[in-house]
Amino acid sequence: MITSIAHATIYVLNQDEALDFYKNKLGFEVGDDMKVEGDFRWLTVHPKSKPQLQLVLAEPKEGPMFSKDSAEKIRGLIEEGAFGAGVFETENCQKTYEELVAKGVKFIQPPTEQLYGVEAMGVDNSGNWFSLVQR
Amino acid sequence: MNNRIRKLNAGRDYIADNYQAPLNLPDIASYSCMSPYHFLRVFKDTYGETPNEFLMRLRIEKAKGMLITENYSVSEVCEKVGYISLGSFSSLFLKQVGMAPTLYRRKLWAMSTELYRFPAQAIPACFAYRFLGKLTK
Repeated sequence: MITSIAHATIYVLNQDEALDFYKNKLGFEVGDDMKVEGDFRWLTVHPKSKPQLQLVLAEPKEGPMFSKDSAEKIRGLIEEGAFGAGVFETENCQKTYEELVAKGVKFIQPPTEQLYGVEAMGVDNSGNWFSLVQR
Repeated sequence: MNNRIRKLNAGRDYIADNYQAPLNLPDIASYSCMSPYHFLRVFKDTYGETPNEFLMRLRIEKAKGMLITENYSVSEVCEKVGYISLGSFSSLFLKQVGMAPTLYRRKLWAMSTELYRFPAQAIPACFAYRFLGKLTK
């Protein structure tokens, strides 16, 4: 039986800028930030109350997984908003939304009543959409 | 974010920013404007670990990084992450990581193909394969 999810990937355009966004705007904490052989930077963040789920902030670069062309296409898709970072939960969507807006976080949709709670939709500084949900 | 979480985060951030210094619960709790006992209880309820467990985890994670990416002696690493007693640091490291600091360094350095870099085995294999093209074992 699988018991939990430990890592999920968010592709970003620039790791330093993404780290600034997730840490200083969203208030996440750094999990791992280390240089792995091959000059690869393994960078993860997590909500303060959930260190068990690490979000891997990875840049699509030419390498074993992506050709140069593929990496460029993925970067383009990130910028277009084709990917989602996930659903982040909050105890008070309106309040968190206001705090994040004050910090300069862009939102596509303000807090709105949905079947499953109150949800706002934001965008990270790479272009990934995320939901902010109060259940 | 409610006021309680905001206060707790202030205490947690204080620990994270000062992990290398001697810290005590009353001081940390004061950053959250709470009594030590109340802070301890709500911290554990919210984050799933006590402030001390969080501090120890943070220090060990920092030590692991230093042991691989820096050429400090184990004593220097111990001091830089906030421990005065090498014995306490080594025991805690052994308990949390499963091996002594020197062995951890020796083992990971031997695995890595580059100086002062973590080996591919330090990250989950699916990521190592995806980003480094390496199947790890």
